[in-house]
Amino acid sequence: MKILETRKITKSFGALTAVNGVSLAIEAGSLHSIIGPNGAGKTTLFNLLTGTFPPTSGSIIFDQKEITGTPANRIAHLGLARSYQRTTVFPAFSLFDNAWVAAFATGKSWNGLMWKPSGGFPEASERARQALHDVGLEGKSTQLAREISHGEQRQLELAIALAAAPRVLLLDEPAAGLSPDETRKMVALVRALKGRYTIVLIEHKMDIIMSVSDRISVMHFGSLIAEGTPGEIQKNPEVRRAYLGGVAA
Amino acid sequence: MKRPFILIMVAIFLLPLAVRPAIASEIWIFAIFGLGLNLLLGYTGLLSFGQSTFFGSAAYVAGWLMKIHGVNAFLALGIGVGVGAASAAVVGYLCVQRSGLYFIMLTFALNQLFYFTAYQWTSVTGGEDGMPGVPRPALLGIDFKDPLIYYAFVSLLFLFCLWLMKRIVESPLGKILQAIRENEVRAEAVGYNVPRFKLLAFVIGGAFSGLAGVLYAMLFGIVPLEAISFVFSGNVVFATLIGGSGSLYGPVIGSFVFIWLSESMSTVWARWPLLLGMAFVIVVLFLRGGVVEAWHKLSLKFFLRK
Ligand SMILES: Nc1ncnc2c1ncn2[C@@H]1O[C@H](COP(=O)(O)OP(=O)(O)OP(=O)(O)O)[C@@H](O)[C@H]1O
Ligand SMILES: [Mg+2]
Repeated sequence: MKILETRKITKSFGALTAVNGVSLAIEAGSLHSIIGPNGAGKTTLFNLLTGTFPPTSGSIIFDQKEITGTPANRIAHLGLARSYQRTTVFPAFSLFDNAWVAAFATGKSWNGLMWKPSGGFPEASERARQALHDVGLEGKSTQLAREISHGEQRQLELAIALAAAPRVLLLDEPAAGLSPDETRKMVALVRALKGRYTIVLIEHKMDIIMSVSDRISVMHFGSLIAEGTPGEIQKNPEVRRAYLGGVAA
Repeated sequence: MKRPFILIMVAIFLLPLAVRPAIASEIWIFAIFGLGLNLLLGYTGLLSFGQSTFFGSAAYVAGWLMKIHGVNAFLALGIGVGVGAASAAVVGYLCVQRSGLYFIMLTFALNQLFYFTAYQWTSVTGGEDGMPGVPRPALLGIDFKDPLIYYAFVSLLFLFCLWLMKRIVESPLGKILQAIRENEVRAEAVGYNVPRFKLLAFVIGGAFSGLAGVLYAMLFGIVPLEAISFVFSGNVVFATLIGGSGSLYGPVIGSFVFIWLSESMSTVWARWPLLLGMAFVIVVLFLRGGVVEAWHKLSLKFFLRK
């Protein structure tokens, strides 16, 4: 079953077409990667999927329902959560509060929003704790986000997305800026999440992509130029050209 | 948790011994005003430079109703809260879509609009002369004309407001507003309608300002034009920053410092605002957390070191 689909979506910024007629279908339960050179439009595609801005044309379907133009805060409630390529957390908050804010947002009830102590929402607290546990930060939950290392902030980035208990996780280069050692940990983490969530993963590091993906879509200058299993993509001549073009020429 | 409360109780009891009851009352009234602002400034990260819009509107409307229609104090205060919240809803609605400097300028510009309306509408507001003759009607048989009784009443309302604000900032709403301050993009992405939450902060802040405005009018028996001017808007920002916008008690301490200083200094030295200006510069340059932060640093240095 397709859980997330785009039909010919396009996004233009003035004269620049960052995403150009992309049609994509994500199978529920799969790990679907999106690769492509810098500036290919991958992050812009995520921004479209999560309602940061509406597409110039085309449509987005989530769980058989058209969600094109739905604003970001509503998308979260539908069950789509994302992480950011550039760390986007709540710096002065404890790690627990970072996750808690996301957990509360998509929690069952906002009863007592204005008068109940924020500790009095066991469901949200439990989800926040679980999310920190899942990314391996449970031991640091009282530390402030701005005080932890870059690697840990990347884990927190993921925990905030997990705390929303989403159905589809959109991960934008979770290993950006990580050391080889931290990268290995992050890959193990993504692998552990595979199967529990439908995952759409943007990543540059080919070895990671080839080892974890069920399917891969390749973007180049805003367009989709190939799609297939890791094996198929590896053999695809067009993909090789897109990636190696600059070097081989 | 308990200590600030005890300190405030002590201050409430000692203050009338140190200053005139009117000034003592003004301190807690101004603190209520500051609590409302700080939900925007300290918690949501929105510098509203137009809080006197809500303070003044409520003072005029409730003051006029008491003066002309003999409305009782209880109803007048309720109406003040309503007018404060409603005017904040209008202003907030227009402002929450902007950010940064545009936001600040817009709160200021709308404040000016209200100010000039009050300035021109002399038949009701008295224009530059202010609206005199605001009574201090008795409530449940208690005569508020006695300054100390009125002071007790103001103190009780202040304690209630402080308790209410504490509940609010410790609730999920408080967390969400702080999340917006910390990272608006992420707050939106995790599922909060950011403009709507900002509007809510405005309305709550406006309600507090409205209450303060009516108490102020009843205290002095007049609504001066200043009460709806940028002077009051600036003063409350000023006082809150000096006290420390990062904590619940910051605006309370700020109001204490500000009102006391301006009262005691203005009779001694005409250029006392210079002193305040200096205090402000020091806070901005060295002490972003205001008096509250200074206190924390000092207590860490001298009392807690083992
Ligand atoms: N908000 C925006 N306004 C204008 N141009 C934008 C905006 N967002 C992205 N772009 C442009 O769109 C193009 C695609 O950018 P995008 O960030 O989607 O690429 P990417 O595939 O994620 O690249 P990278 O691998 O470097 O992260 C780039 O040329 C970028 O400059
Ligand atoms: Mg990108």
